[in-house]
Amino acid sequence: MMKVQYVSPFAEAAVSVFEMLVGMTPERGQLAARPQLFTTQQVNIVCGITGPVEGLVIYGTSMNSALKIASKMIGMPVTQFDQLVASAIGELGNMITGNSASLLAAQGFGCDITPPTIIRGTNVKITTVDIPALVIPLNLKELGTFEVNVSLQERRKLAA
Amino acid sequence: MAKRILITDDALFMRVTLKNILTQNGYEVVGEAANGVESVELYKQLKPDVVTMDITMPEMDGLQALKEIRALDPNASIVMCTAMGQKNMVVEAIQAGAKDFIVKPFQPDRVLEAMSKLAA
Ligand SMILES: [Mg+2]
Repeated sequence: MMKVQYVSPFAEAAVSVFEMLVGMTPERGQLAARPQLFTTQQVNIVCGITGPVEGLVIYGTSMNSALKIASKMIGMPVTQFDQLVASAIGELGNMITGNSASLLAAQGFGCDITPPTIIRGTNVKITTVDIPALVIPLNLKELGTFEVNVSLQERRKLAA
Repeated sequence: MAKRILITDDALFMRVTLKNILTQNGYEVVGEAANGVESVELYKQLKPDVVTMDITMPEMDGLQALKEIRALDPNASIVMCTAMGQKNMVVEAIQAGAKDFIVKPFQPDRVLEAMSKLAA
């Protein structure tokens, strides 16, 4: 079973990144478990974690919310999911993951992260192994909702 | 004369944000690199006064690019600007010669403070 201690840093980091970057404090929803990592959202940011704990994190939101979040980040209203908007949303995921990695490091898990990949489309199923996922929904109020899907496990020790 | 800056970040959004902060405050952005390989190449061509360096990037990450630029020019002024704020990253970057370490997300003043601390 995936440990909740790996997930809390992502929720904590997401809240502080939204506060600083978007100027609002998200409300944390109920933590839920899923047997596999997948998303039903329209805009997904996928970030990899490597090191003593490894796996994937997917941040998912609707297109409407992504455009609203990007408008705040860029400082002017945007209506098209163009290259600049995609890079802003990707960087939001990178910042949350990077700040989470710092919190994981403070717990003794010093990890590296991979650059974000944006995947558009629903019902994206990513893992080939059955690592369960924990999901934390964040309520962004008038900006919509933002899901944090974390699927991490301790790196398997190689047999001697 | 305006200080000449080379920006390095894989995210277009970050390059635009940094460029706006710097140009609005009297700095000249002479180049933009989207990964470590481009940053090393542009450093050789442009000889900027200061480089901003992201860490998490494709092709070559910012710690490797920092080391390669410092090997080319031991006096290079490089300011890390990254979402990876953990202690071991900061220590590794400073030991490799980075002049400052800014953790994203940042306030514009933090970037300007780092720039103004570096010798003219
Ligand atoms: Mg990056």
